[in-house]
Amino acid sequence: MNETILEVSAFLYRYAELLDGEQFDQWTQLFDVKDCQYRVLSRENQELGLPLPIMGCFSHGMVCDRVAMLAKGVLTYRRDRLLRQVSNVQCHSIGDASVNVRANLVVYQSSEEGVSSLYMVARYQGVLARAGNGWRIKVMDVVVDSFGIDTMLAVPL
Amino acid sequence: MSNTQFESCPYVWPKADFSRVPYEVFTDANIYRLENERIFRGPVWNYLCHEVELPEVGSFVTNWVGDTQVVITRSEDESIHAFENSCAHRGAQLVTAVRGRAPSITCPYHLWNYSLKGALTGVPLLKGLKGKGGMPPDFQKTDHGLNAMKVEIHAGLIFGCFHDTPPDLKTFLGPHSLSQIDRLLVQRKPKVLGYLRQRIPGNWKLYNENVRDPYHGSLLHQFQVSFGLQQPTMKGGIKLDAELKNTWNHSILSATDKDNHALVAQAYEGTGKFNPNMKMADPALIHVPLDLDDGYKTTILSIFPSMVVAQVDNTYAIRHLRPKGPDAVELHMTYLGFESDTAAQTQDKLLTANFIGPSGYISLEDGEALRLVQQGVKLRRPGGHEVLEMGGVGPVQDTDYLSQEISIRGFWQYYHHIMGWGNESPSGDGQ
Repeated sequence: MNETILEVSAFLYRYAELLDGEQFDQWTQLFDVKDCQYRVLSRENQELGLPLPIMGCFSHGMVCDRVAMLAKGVLTYRRDRLLRQVSNVQCHSIGDASVNVRANLVVYQSSEEGVSSLYMVARYQGVLARAGNGWRIKVMDVVVDSFGIDTMLAVPL
Repeated sequence: MSNTQFESCPYVWPKADFSRVPYEVFTDANIYRLENERIFRGPVWNYLCHEVELPEVGSFVTNWVGDTQVVITRSEDESIHAFENSCAHRGAQLVTAVRGRAPSITCPYHLWNYSLKGALTGVPLLKGLKGKGGMPPDFQKTDHGLNAMKVEIHAGLIFGCFHDTPPDLKTFLGPHSLSQIDRLLVQRKPKVLGYLRQRIPGNWKLYNENVRDPYHGSLLHQFQVSFGLQQPTMKGGIKLDAELKNTWNHSILSATDKDNHALVAQAYEGTGKFNPNMKMADPALIHVPLDLDDGYKTTILSIFPSMVVAQVDNTYAIRHLRPKGPDAVELHMTYLGFESDTAAQTQDKLLTANFIGPSGYISLEDGEALRLVQQGVKLRRPGGHEVLEMGGVGPVQDTDYLSQEISIRGFWQYYHHIMGWGNESPSGDGQ
């Protein structure tokens, strides 16, 4: 298990680094091409048992579309630099081939003039599946405590 | 508290048709205080919540009416009540949960207890102990109820008014709002699929302008254009109520729009933005069929001062503005499905939710646009005015076209009136 948690932590750090660096194509490659789901959920809705996502991608194509809009300049959004900090990683194996993952996330935003503030507080809840030597995302839910979203949420968490 | 300042507006409105608006109305803290007094606590109907959010006796939700937080309850006789969320004793906030269910309301501080109608029912140690202490003999619990709003309900929408003489609710909403609310929220019974919240660092009136401004739709929101979903050449129009404060914007997608590339290219001339041939990796989102078979692609009902009922493609939502001082507003959305929806229709609505809200492909830019306006207005030298001439100047009227800002001028005309500054700009040049 120690080895798995190290692998999963490294996977999540890579995930965060790719988003921070706006390497969106490579981020989409962390997902299972045949079967995956990515959602950003408000803790408020989750606790009320309400299904509405803030972002909801129900196929790999939808994950790609979500970031393609950013990359192609279709969306106009606040171009602050984002820095994700992932911590408190936990995982529980489901059989040999997959693992339940939980972790905490904070995201800071920094303006063009170098002023930083806390942008987002959230939790990752996901399922990863083994793929060769690495892992692929089957499910990634990002449950957001800061669901009173500051201005907008354009870039995935 | 009576406020006698600003019997006339301290800033210049140079055009009688409200095609110029002084930028200070977005930033001046005194204006903001006056808006709370004259608009949110004035003779208007403020949206509070939908009846389905108060399903049983004791259900409550909290909401904001300008700066004032209110609790809305369903009482034992099923009637709906709304009152300030502040104890009549020493002012403590009574309810901290956003929503819930309770048999009565008890202040956490000295345990004063209120009925679901806001009447004071219990005061611990009212008579003191062993003949000592207690309230004076003339203390009457009936004198110390919670500050209540008048409440009226139309089509499941609950409205509240703090003013002694509220307007007639149906007249206040106007004929277009009434017929569209029937179309959107009455012919099928709504249910809440979830809430979306957005804290926008911009004045609350900027959002009122935004939803009355179909001019920006296909220019700021490139998603629709890039996939041929909405174009500046699309048909539609606006209709206003008699007071010009409420707007019904609608757009209709006709079969020929997609062939209008030459016209569209002209509309985007010089912007470098026209790129109509993008393809989605998974286009399921844009292929969700409209539930209603009446051709409306977009219906935006903007109801003064803080409510929007919106159908955007196949999404249905009640949007509500909760001002947070002159420089910020919470945009709160109640996202709706319908009791009659099949599982597949519900799944479609969870998919099309990607269109709207803080991450919406055709709405996330609005948060950024409002932030940029608030920033831009604050960095200017004082005394400037915004320019509202698109679609024509002069009297505010309905249009059958979308490239217009006329309905924004209707908003300002009513705003100027309800703020007590008169029906016309006093400094207007008669334009």
